[in-house]
Amino acid sequence: MEQQTIHNYLHQFFTLNSCEVRENNTGKLTVTLNEELDRLLLNRPFYWEYIKKIGQEGEPATLTFISNPDRIEEKGEWIHFGSPRLHQIFQYQLKKGKYTMLYEQAQKTPLNPWLVVNIKISYIGQQKKDEILSIGLHLINGIMVFEFMEKIKNMDFSTVIPDYSFTISPIIRIHSGYKRIETYIEQYLNSMNHKWAEESFSKYEKEKNILTHFYESYLQAANDEEQEQLTVRYDNELDHLQKRLLPKIDIEPINGGVFYFSEKSETFLLH
Amino acid sequence: MVRQILTAGERVMNINYRFDKEFVYEFDKHLDKNGPFCSFDMFHMAYDTAKSLVVPNFEGLQSPQYLPHMEFLDHQLDCAKQVVESMNGRAILADEVGLGKTIEAGLILKEYMIRGLAKKILILVPASLVNQWVKELNEKFFIPAVSQRKSYVWEQCDVVVSSLDTAKRPPHRDIVLEQHYDLMIIDEAHKLKNHKTKNYQFVNSLKKTYCLLLTATPVQNQLSDIFNLVTILKPGYLGSYDEFTKAFGNKRTALKQDEKLKELIQNVMVRNRREDTGVEWTKRNVKTVWINFTEEEQQVYDELDHDLVSSDPFTSITLKRELCSSREACYLSLKKMFEQNVQKYSGHSWSEEIIEKIEQLPHHSKAQKVVDILQNSSEKFIVFTEYRATQYYLQWFLQQHGISSVPFRGGFKRSKKEWMTQLFRNHAQVLVATEAGGEGINLQFCRNMIHYDLPWNPMRLEQRIGRVHRFGQKDDVNIYYLAIKNTIDEHLVSLLYEKIHLFERVIGDLDIILQQLNIPDLEDEIKDIYAESESPGEARIKLENLTAAFQHTTSSEVTHDGTTDYS
Repeated sequence: MEQQTIHNYLHQFFTLNSCEVRENNTGKLTVTLNEELDRLLLNRPFYWEYIKKIGQEGEPATLTFISNPDRIEEKGEWIHFGSPRLHQIFQYQLKKGKYTMLYEQAQKTPLNPWLVVNIKISYIGQQKKDEILSIGLHLINGIMVFEFMEKIKNMDFSTVIPDYSFTISPIIRIHSGYKRIETYIEQYLNSMNHKWAEESFSKYEKEKNILTHFYESYLQAANDEEQEQLTVRYDNELDHLQKRLLPKIDIEPINGGVFYFSEKSETFLLH
Repeated sequence: MVRQILTAGERVMNINYRFDKEFVYEFDKHLDKNGPFCSFDMFHMAYDTAKSLVVPNFEGLQSPQYLPHMEFLDHQLDCAKQVVESMNGRAILADEVGLGKTIEAGLILKEYMIRGLAKKILILVPASLVNQWVKELNEKFFIPAVSQRKSYVWEQCDVVVSSLDTAKRPPHRDIVLEQHYDLMIIDEAHKLKNHKTKNYQFVNSLKKTYCLLLTATPVQNQLSDIFNLVTILKPGYLGSYDEFTKAFGNKRTALKQDEKLKELIQNVMVRNRREDTGVEWTKRNVKTVWINFTEEEQQVYDELDHDLVSSDPFTSITLKRELCSSREACYLSLKKMFEQNVQKYSGHSWSEEIIEKIEQLPHHSKAQKVVDILQNSSEKFIVFTEYRATQYYLQWFLQQHGISSVPFRGGFKRSKKEWMTQLFRNHAQVLVATEAGGEGINLQFCRNMIHYDLPWNPMRLEQRIGRVHRFGQKDDVNIYYLAIKNTIDEHLVSLLYEKIHLFERVIGDLDIILQQLNIPDLEDEIKDIYAESESPGEARIKLENLTAAFQHTTSSEVTHDGTTDYS
């Protein structure tokens, strides 16, 4: 994330979480927190406990974040991509934006249900890399659309059904819809050429051979008690090796929701 | 589920697909309760957040972009990359002293944490370095490391720094052995070179996925040192012990001469030398300041050759060295000597006279010289002395001349050391120290150093200089050595220090040369020479021989392959 992006991110974050922005210019942002974020970011439970006990509202703190390197000397907290503070905020946002149910802002029209899931796939071998998929599944006809978030990012949604519109009940239940998405991912992964995994696996086999040879050479000369110790040690080492080099893929949803779209928008989504 | 693939080599490989099972149930609960649900903006922002945290490539380092306040050197980044990409996180980091092994380890640790491959981490370091590690990881790397204090931290905290001695002792031992560590770091790992020790066996039985061993001297005495270190990382990589010694013998030199061994070691060890780093080091200006004793001082010095003490060469040398430092240091030793051996000394006129003469000596010529140097400069100075008594005397003497100073000793507690460093930085012109103060105290804001008296062990000298001449020093460094003519000081300075240029040398070189000459401790060697010599002339010849051996080793090192490196 560039410093400018971080500034914009923070501005959006505090605005969305209904904190009052007091100053916002060229890499300096001053906000008054709400109680929840004060509790999270400032970690002062005694203050809040005390203030609640005496029956008062409490005053959330005002913080200043500096993201412009030229202003680093100014009063405030220097914030960058590695700041623990920013990562606290990231984790909070990931938790807050996990589940949703949304309706397209469309008048006098039936709305069809879709299951939208954003998923992180992690490929783990000698090293690790991630990929994100955004998938929408039509809960009536089972059609799947990819890069879904890209397609809907400029639409308007609300958390209540717009006036004079009505929703069509899903035919596919959430669990089986989700299962279909999992099946799709399985096929997607099966269709890939996993060169990274082969490399990792052949390294694993090589190291395993070395390890086995090593312990066998000692086992021959060992007495019963030593043999037992050596076997424990060998199993232990083999376990380390497997953890380190056997290829695996983690599939973990980031967030998901049920979205209702007008037929007009669906035509757009399907193109 | 598991997918089976037949690899190019006709082997069956399994890839484990691990699907999250929680998400859909949680989602269902929300649907049942009709919420709580977030807005589209919140939803979209969470998606963007996840995107910004993605690691898009197997290769390369993510960690530097998380640490914009740090300036990493090329060799540090290369090292971290190499360990992560081609050594799969099991390596010996063996850079020379002062090139930043801790920084490299921090980078690697951060990288594994960012990639989500390491969460539970154990860092074992010498007790004196625990707090330093905790501080650096927190401040430089934003890694929430805690030092081990109570037994419960082992289970509750993810990143724990502890001394090996504590970890291997009950009640900690059993808890530590229970844990599965994603990454383990061991600093000063050369202490694990012997596979028969409790430390070695303890470390070997810990459960760890990735593992870093840090040492500046991967091979100290024999080739088996490196065998034992590698065996912690990759058992069997160098074969069994018998196979290894059969193939390579047990001489240190094999590591340099045997191509096959060199190649094997290169796969598990990164070693950078100062000259490989491409970093421009600031210069060291070394100046020896010669001082003449006053007549009275010289008289007392000569008195120390009296039969009563010269019969024991060690005593005589010690007293002479002390007198070259301060009358106080010498006085205290004499007093103690007389008290401990009343029969020998009491009633002897020499004993009383020498005490009396010392008491009457005016200020020490060296101390006066220090004041001269300090008064001609407005910059900060560190003054090192070998003796506590001299330290007190110097502080008092400087104060008499209106020069502010703070004391520093190896025995100070960490917090006191930091406090003294702070005082020196902000308020005083001089730091009067008796020891280098241990690793980790950085005094780079000062660039002048006076060696008030000479340590006979050049390693100590290098550690002293290393406090100011290291990464972060922006200016050339001025090193003064004070020596008194016609004394024991002179022999040493002219022979060891001037001919061999010990001041300019880096510690890594010296280390290797001493090992090759089979000299475990230079200080002991020199003491032995004096002790075993019948006359000053004989001592001088022996010292010259030692010097010649040094010079010979140095030149053969350089002509061999232009480097003294193993790797």
